[in-house]
Amino acid sequence: MAYRTSKRIQRVPSHELDISAPRSMRRAGTGTKLLLTAFSAALIYLAYVLVSQSAAYMTKSGKTTYGKVLDRKGDVLFDGTQPLSNYPWGQFADVGNFIGDTSGQMTNTIVARNSSLLANYSFSYGNDGTTVLETSLSHAANRAVYNAFGSKNGTAIAYNWQTGELLVCVSKPCVDITKGYADIDTMPSGSLLCKAFYPTVPGSTQKVSTLLAAYQYAGAETINALEYNCTGEWTNATGDVIKCHQSYGHGNQNLVTAFANSCNPYFAQLVQSDIVPLNDIINAYARMGYSVNDSPAESLEMNGIVIPPASTVLRDSHQFETQWGALGQGRTLVSPYQLMLWQGAIANGTGCAVQPGLLTAVTKSGGTKHSLQSHKLTDQMFSSAAAQSIQKVMTQNVQYNYGALQPYNCGVKSGTAQVNDNGRQYENSLLTGFSLDEQCPVAFCIMIEERESWDVSTGQIASVLLSTLKENL
Amino acid sequence: MAKSSVKPISHPFLLLLVLIAHTAMMVLVVLSFGVDAEVIKLAAAVLSADLVGSVILQIIHREACTVDTVLLLITGMSTIYQSCFGGLEFDVKHFAFCMASFVMCQISYAVTRNPYRAEKLKPLWYTLFFILVFCILFLTGSRGIWIDLGFITIQPSEFVKPVFVLICASSIHTQLKKSEIAGFHFVPDNLMLLLCTVVIAGLQWWCRDLGSLPTFIAAAGCAMLLRFCYLREKVSLRLIVFLAACGVGVAIFAWKLAPGYVQERLHSDIWADMSSTGYQQVKALTAIAEGGWFGKGVGNGTLIHVAAARTDIVFSTICEEWGLFTGMMTVVLVLFLPGAILTVPPRSYYHSGLALGVAAVFIVQMALNIFGSCNLIPFTGVTIPFISQGGSSMLASGILAGFLKAAQAPVLTDRQTQKGGK
Repeated sequence: MAYRTSKRIQRVPSHELDISAPRSMRRAGTGTKLLLTAFSAALIYLAYVLVSQSAAYMTKSGKTTYGKVLDRKGDVLFDGTQPLSNYPWGQFADVGNFIGDTSGQMTNTIVARNSSLLANYSFSYGNDGTTVLETSLSHAANRAVYNAFGSKNGTAIAYNWQTGELLVCVSKPCVDITKGYADIDTMPSGSLLCKAFYPTVPGSTQKVSTLLAAYQYAGAETINALEYNCTGEWTNATGDVIKCHQSYGHGNQNLVTAFANSCNPYFAQLVQSDIVPLNDIINAYARMGYSVNDSPAESLEMNGIVIPPASTVLRDSHQFETQWGALGQGRTLVSPYQLMLWQGAIANGTGCAVQPGLLTAVTKSGGTKHSLQSHKLTDQMFSSAAAQSIQKVMTQNVQYNYGALQPYNCGVKSGTAQVNDNGRQYENSLLTGFSLDEQCPVAFCIMIEERESWDVSTGQIASVLLSTLKENL
Repeated sequence: MAKSSVKPISHPFLLLLVLIAHTAMMVLVVLSFGVDAEVIKLAAAVLSADLVGSVILQIIHREACTVDTVLLLITGMSTIYQSCFGGLEFDVKHFAFCMASFVMCQISYAVTRNPYRAEKLKPLWYTLFFILVFCILFLTGSRGIWIDLGFITIQPSEFVKPVFVLICASSIHTQLKKSEIAGFHFVPDNLMLLLCTVVIAGLQWWCRDLGSLPTFIAAAGCAMLLRFCYLREKVSLRLIVFLAACGVGVAIFAWKLAPGYVQERLHSDIWADMSSTGYQQVKALTAIAEGGWFGKGVGNGTLIHVAAARTDIVFSTICEEWGLFTGMMTVVLVLFLPGAILTVPPRSYYHSGLALGVAAVFIVQMALNIFGSCNLIPFTGVTIPFISQGGSSMLASGILAGFLKAAQAPVLTDRQTQKGGK
């Protein structure tokens, strides 16, 4: 071997080194490999995070423009590529507080909650202004329903209970985003909120929940056989009076007629009878997503929009507050969205609903299109037997009371909610239901605020909703 | 006639690769800024450093070494980056420190290439360690980390790193010499290492700058692992569990004792506090997003106006102007330094200790810098070796690179060769 040598040292060329060093010595290499592997894995993860989150970084730091939101037929619902004032007034009047905009004035809207998705930015292409967010909303049907409210305020929401596509979501009064916010101080109260997502007093639409609980724990046969007498009012065990909306009473009622008549004494007696123990009612409510007696309940979510859960107070089946709560008054609160969701689970007869969703696809910068649809089911909210039983009762209700809806093979339940708004008392009219029409499989909830007898009815709006949806699906 | 460990073509070939890389980068610089005096100065400095460095190395060693080649490549790239951030101005100071780090690498290589001789210097390393501790305690002013000499500022804590690595590597083979203290058997050198680690932790706490502590703990942990595994064919599961439990215990202890500002950083939401505590990270992340894969263009970045753009968030500054792809490639190139020992395993316990210690320091330091500035872990404020600006860091990194070179191209005495294996 002809190594270069000095008097004292001998250098060993690397290719002639014995690499069979003791195993314990070679652990330095193993340790280095582990460190390098861990660091490289973290680096790859970092690259993934940076690329996937870059749109969010740009959005949050206000350095991006936004694309368009389109309805199911390509009609524009929001346009971030140009000033909204370029659009005619009223273009977005029916969706302003639902679809929203990027002004920052509204936070619980589709645009605000999905600003990263709508951002005209991708890591590879930068800000190229081509992002398009497609939705399932039918703008034509939405406008028709909005107009059907006439001078009244309220909300209407509907979705396809088979596919989960949200089809209509109206909330009046509604901000017109083409006009901007210069007159924000004089806007009618509620203009910036989509009421479909906020809990309200459900009125007798709550009887659906109470009946579902009864069906589940006592069985359809027992409940359908129950009969109670209604004289216009009923005094409960603690001496409190439950009044019926029909002051002279409904007489002897079975379940179907009591449901059709929305008879308060009948359902109050059902709650007090202990045929269905209060604990079972509470359990049934909790399964449906209620926060009962301040127990924790999960908020609902649709494409980022947060919907607070329903809530009620049920402490003693003999007391007025509990009975009144089970009838949908007092401290019971449910959002129209959640009422609609339950109708979806009744319509399909399974007790679990397809989760509603508005966003169907996004086309990002560079032209790549990603589907956003998911056919997710909710948890089992009630039994399928209970769902099928109440479906029949609700369908019979249409035959008794809603002739105009019969062509759509519907089931509905109406309600009148007694609202106490900081001392100001008024009544809201609600209608929740479903259509089993194969061309229009829709679950819906409609609420008209402070409705008087001469005003447009929820049934009329439902008729507009179903007819326009049938034309536009 | 000296015999090289690589074929004669390797030297020119590796130099060619370095030259091509730097030339390609200079082409981009010329495309962005045109040809002017600054561009010519930068190109002349970087390319002539490649040529001169390579020639000197061939004269001295007559064999190519991964560490030298990678060091030439990285320091040249670093000079180009630092000269082009936000506009072109040849960063003479940074270039000078790059060259100095290259020289420091050769010096530390000369000192540590013979493990037998270097190990004998253990008392010197301990002395140096405590001198540096003294400097930090008494010369840096009010609980600071900098010594201001007027014309230059020095960060002595950076120089503690190579000294600490030397201490870590020094006593692996003394594991069989146990002493009995109060009925317990201890290896005195292990106690000394533990003491040094505690001193560093105390010092960093005193200086209110805990950013580098994970780096030291990683180096100490690796050293302890090598010591515990000394002469063992297999590492027992019991030992692994014991060490893991110790690690978890230390982490919990540190968590409980961490000062308020550290705990705050662990929980802070940078997007909720974009204008104060999260400012640098928000700007860094946004800059990377703006840069995309291939950057906004050399000199077109705006992150340079943010504090620590050339040091603590330098990865983002590179990504903004040169793109994430280049940023990642740069990091991978730096990883080639600790990875060098994978091609030629160390031939002594001393060098294996050095190599693993340096790998721990480099990798943990890069992780703290990159993942911290990108909000994956709490943001500390350490440098990326050879890439970030900073003389002390650059020189210390050069010394550490010399240790790697020593592990890769050792000079063994006859005695060491016999002990080593054959």
